[in-house]
Amino acid sequence: MDVTAVVVDDLTMTYRVPVREAGLAAAFKSVLHRRFRDVHAVRGVSFEVAAGEVVGFIGPNGAGKTTTMKMMSGLLHPTGGDVKVLGHTPWRRQTPFLKQIALVRGSQPTGGQQELTLLDSLLYQKVLYEIPGAEYLRTLDELVVMLELEPLLDRQLRALSLGEKMRAGLALSLLYRPRVLFLDEPTLGLDVSAAAAIRRFLAAYAAETGAAILLTSHYMADVESLCRRLILIDHGSVRYDGPRERLAVRLAPCKIIRITAPSATMWDFLDVAEVVAAHDDIWELRVPRDQVAEVTSTLLRAIDVVDLSVEEPALEAVIDLAYREGV
Amino acid sequence: MTARLARLLGLRVRNQFLDWASSWTFAATLAVNYAIGPLIGLVVWTAVLPGDRNTVNYFVALVGVYLVTASFEDYTFSEAVYDGRISHDLLKPQPVIIGPAGENIAIRLWLGLFGLPLTIVVAIVAGASYRPSALLLAVPALLGAAIVRFLWTWLLALTAFWTERVHAIVAFSHILAYLLGGTAAPIADLPEPWRWIALALPFYAMLGLPADIATGAPVGAGYLLLLGWGSLFAGLAAVVWRRGIRRYSVVGA
Repeated sequence: MDVTAVVVDDLTMTYRVPVREAGLAAAFKSVLHRRFRDVHAVRGVSFEVAAGEVVGFIGPNGAGKTTTMKMMSGLLHPTGGDVKVLGHTPWRRQTPFLKQIALVRGSQPTGGQQELTLLDSLLYQKVLYEIPGAEYLRTLDELVVMLELEPLLDRQLRALSLGEKMRAGLALSLLYRPRVLFLDEPTLGLDVSAAAAIRRFLAAYAAETGAAILLTSHYMADVESLCRRLILIDHGSVRYDGPRERLAVRLAPCKIIRITAPSATMWDFLDVAEVVAAHDDIWELRVPRDQVAEVTSTLLRAIDVVDLSVEEPALEAVIDLAYREGV
Repeated sequence: MTARLARLLGLRVRNQFLDWASSWTFAATLAVNYAIGPLIGLVVWTAVLPGDRNTVNYFVALVGVYLVTASFEDYTFSEAVYDGRISHDLLKPQPVIIGPAGENIAIRLWLGLFGLPLTIVVAIVAGASYRPSALLLAVPALLGAAIVRFLWTWLLALTAFWTERVHAIVAFSHILAYLLGGTAAPIADLPEPWRWIALALPFYAMLGLPADIATGAPVGAGYLLLLGWGSLFAGLAAVVWRRGIRRYSVVGA
């Protein structure tokens, strides 16, 4: 049995966008003679996602993440390359394909008629996706519990808050249990609790259904809690594809040693390690990976240490480094 | 398959009808706005031809035709292409035309809700009267005209994939429809060669034809005319859709 859910091969997308100089004369000139410029949004991107895998698809703004997702979900026709999702070519938008995928966007979590109540919209999904009655009721019950939808069911979509809309959007998209889920900034604009609830739900959904999930997010908490594998894209090209932990190893040549030492002073660390932070008797030291053992040993001999831990640098710092300096 | 499509269309109409409930005042003004053209024709032509019952019957029927065939795909569909809302429909496992067709019918229902009483009042005030058999023959023509006008407007609205000037294109089409569709003057009263030009264009089939049949004019090739234009626009819309969707880029939305 083929367990590969998504195959992206040399995918390319070039937009042709109108351009003109500032000013009235240029505006008039553009009416008669429009000028265009090619924008290379995605350049030769290739990767695969297995069934049951949750992959973080990250990159700075304008890197090509959303464009790639739109091609994978069938919204856009690529300029070049190929995509297969569950064996289907997405942009043909065949019914069997559309019934097995979902694209949830934090910027537009609920589409369609905003005057309808959530329950009306869910019933529409039931007909649209031909969900049998018993299965609909069972899945709805699960979603109502997991996403705490009970108070939202009789409310109109337009009247929901951003966090409520996101929960509603997830319910509408997951009611038919898609096998491939594209999540574009699913926690955009949500408060800490709402974002955590969405993350818990997604983790449970992936574990329970074995769906392949591709997630873009600028919030590292999303990526850290959900994705073991990261694909880092920048300027339309894949810069890294591998385990989350290895990105830190590859990008950050140092580890962080955190020690609690009430009697230590700045002088104790001179010539031993670089102090990056100090507060409440806790010292954070940046140490080259190959010197961690030696420095730790030196510190334990020289200072009265209450507590000590060796940590990878925060993912956020690693990603920031990747965005600024490249991989 | 057909039953499923009919059910999906019915659901879409229902949903869009509910969605428009919050804009019912706008729908009321739209109904009045759409009736204005034929009403002006009624006033002008009854002044030109006083006592001519046919003219009265024709323009009153035309008010009804306008309301039943109203199409706003340049505002509904094209705007959804421009701002990316069409993406939601593209992801649904159903033909995309269900969306614009459903919204079209829903808006017409709202227009009918306000426009039907208006038409009845106008008919009573103007003293219009119809033979039931003529009205019966006009019903298929009216349905055909409703489909042809929707397909024509949707075809023009599909140019949103290429240009941002859809509203100008559709507005120009409205002007042609007003002049050559039987609103500015009944086609039979147009001088040559304008009468033949009007008959050769699709606007008469969308507007004047059902009104003519309602007033007792012979059906003649009217139904065939509607079938021909409908088939042509449906075929063209399918081709333009397939080409247009390849250009859909929705950058940033």
